[in-house]
Amino acid sequence: MLYDLIPHLINGVALGLLFALLALGFMLIIGVMEVINLAHGALFTLGAYIALAVMAPDGGLPFAFMEPYYALPAVPRYVIALIVGPAVVAVVGMGLELCLRRTYGGDPLYGLLLTFGAALVLEETIREIWGSSEYYLPIPRGISGGFIFGDLIYSTYRIYAALFAAAMIGVLWLFLNKTPYGAVIKAGAHDSEMVRALGYNLKRLRLYVFAFGAALAGIAGIVMAPIWGIRPVVGVDAVIPAFVVIVLGGVGSFWGAVSAGILVGLVVGLTGAFLTDWSLLSMYLLLLAVVTFRTRGLAGKASVLEA
Amino acid sequence: MSKKGMSRRGFLATALLSGTAGGATLFGPWKHTRVYAAKSDKPIRIGLTHDASGQFANSGQAEKRGTIMAIEEANAAGGVLGRKVEYLWMDTETNPQTGTRVAERLISRENVHFLVGAIQSGTANAISQVAQKYGCIYFNTNSSSPTESGKNCHRVKFVWDGNGENFSRAAARNAISAFGDKWFLMYNDYVWGQNTNAATKKVASGYGAEVIDEVAIPVGTRDWSSVLLKIQQAKPDVVAAAVGGDDFKVMRQQVSDMNLDQKPAWINNQQDWPDVYGLGADAAFGVFGTTWYHYLDLPGVGDFVKRYQAAYPETRINVPGNVTYNGYVAMRELLRVIEEVGGTDNIKIIKALEGRTMAAAGRMQHHDAVIDPNSHHVQQTIYLATGNTQPRDDSDYFKILSWSDPESIRASADDTCSLESYDATPSYDQG
Repeated sequence: MLYDLIPHLINGVALGLLFALLALGFMLIIGVMEVINLAHGALFTLGAYIALAVMAPDGGLPFAFMEPYYALPAVPRYVIALIVGPAVVAVVGMGLELCLRRTYGGDPLYGLLLTFGAALVLEETIREIWGSSEYYLPIPRGISGGFIFGDLIYSTYRIYAALFAAAMIGVLWLFLNKTPYGAVIKAGAHDSEMVRALGYNLKRLRLYVFAFGAALAGIAGIVMAPIWGIRPVVGVDAVIPAFVVIVLGGVGSFWGAVSAGILVGLVVGLTGAFLTDWSLLSMYLLLLAVVTFRTRGLAGKASVLEA
Repeated sequence: MSKKGMSRRGFLATALLSGTAGGATLFGPWKHTRVYAAKSDKPIRIGLTHDASGQFANSGQAEKRGTIMAIEEANAAGGVLGRKVEYLWMDTETNPQTGTRVAERLISRENVHFLVGAIQSGTANAISQVAQKYGCIYFNTNSSSPTESGKNCHRVKFVWDGNGENFSRAAARNAISAFGDKWFLMYNDYVWGQNTNAATKKVASGYGAEVIDEVAIPVGTRDWSSVLLKIQQAKPDVVAAAVGGDDFKVMRQQVSDMNLDQKPAWINNQQDWPDVYGLGADAAFGVFGTTWYHYLDLPGVGDFVKRYQAAYPETRINVPGNVTYNGYVAMRELLRVIEEVGGTDNIKIIKALEGRTMAAAGRMQHHDAVIDPNSHHVQQTIYLATGNTQPRDDSDYFKILSWSDPESIRASADDTCSLESYDATPSYDQG
């Protein structure tokens, strides 16, 4: 029994790291901006499509001058996709933040509605450019296919994606905790007026944080694309688990989000194996169970949204 | 002084008589009728109920191309009964509630003569309930749940795709002898998946398969890793999957990513062309059924492909697949029957369709097809296919393994159908 359980536990942790990656950008924007960014899923989708355009000739850039570029090996194109994708999404995120400025200080509902509208606009724009067909993001051969794990076969890409997610979590933690920029961002999350009083440009801080959060959504889109596929609506599949992870972990809490992501991954993975028809519902039941006893989620601090 | 006007007693008597007559008109035994004119030169309006959003958006647009192509060809040939054929399309959003709303609107406000289009069985069922209420003939073009021509059949509804049981019958016996008898079943947990799985289980068990596990997969599942690990631990010979739409695409991608597409053997019931197109031959994994393929070596197929390409030069899916084909032949047959009947009266058209035989050559299939008069399900050739390892071009994803004549794979679920009587079906003719 335990022998049968081990692959599912490992799979659950891998899945959990991916859920945590999905939630990172969402968490950053809620933490600092106090905005529930419902466009997170659309930004996730945009990242995947930009990567597709960078990786594949049929990905929407059928320009003659691109032909020599597409002749490059897959690895450099993939690395370029990991840079260009988040960069484009960050620019779009900046545009969205500029639109959001008029809602600051008002009813949070306005920000919610604006980001919801932006999500619809982005999704339709993607549909106009790429159509509604399914796309597959080609990946370098070294991270594709399966490998033998005991008497089972497991996906090489999934291990790569989980390690990538773990690395992103580490990099983000180092950035937030070991750099002066991270200190300002964290300070902005706790007391933005004080940050302004200390002479920091709060508008610029918010612009950069939003761009950073959007870029993280774009990275998550690129990493998840080979697992989920690429469709205009794929972001819907991302934004709901991201929201669950954030609330479960405690709004604004870094390690809360990471641990909630892993917990959700374990619960979804195990129910997927042993109670499959409950697998989608399980994350919501987990959320319900946790917030019943810990209203502020696992991390337990007062939420910025409670102010 | 003479008293003019009505006495109180006279007034009461008149009121009673009027009330009785009015009540009889409003509440008495009557038959709902929407008959506007016996003959007309006005265009024949067809309401298209194709999805443009939701899980089956891509397939919905593919069948829309087929139905519109048939309409445009009819108009180019002078129309039907000398009348132009118009279409009005509304997005049914892969959603039964939207299907109900759209059908109500198309019939009661847009006064369409007929309704055509369906991918998802839940939506098709919802549309057909509204259509039956009014008596409006409805063609379910691409929804393949056995219930559509079984317990959810209706006098006004005609089902044009092969259903899950047809496909299972075509595949099961061969799969047991070729791959083994330990079967793992999994299915999308909604009406099509449940009923197709039940049909597969019945058929496979009937041929001697042992079902070692049976897993319901929630619609919207995006991570299949747990299920794929579970399948490996169960060590089946065959995995029979009734999974559709976006779920199927994601599953296929993850199966392929884990190199599980060769062993165990996969029976995928049906793979719609829009779910595969653009992904390469590797995407067409396992063995699956289809009603048509653009490289069938039959007269008319090549010409149909060329006409499609001329009609849709900008479409990414640049060859028609089974979904477009089903939409096209269904619409073409409807227009032919209107011409033969000489009008749009619903009962006359229903009677002309029931038991109608359609020549194999005209339908570009290997066997004649017939509309079962008891279930309104088109009994047709079913092709068994797999991924093509030696494609002749970029669109040649499928390798046709065999084909079955309609009688040998007839669905027993059709026997559960109980059509409403003609008398219980409202007259419907928009003139």
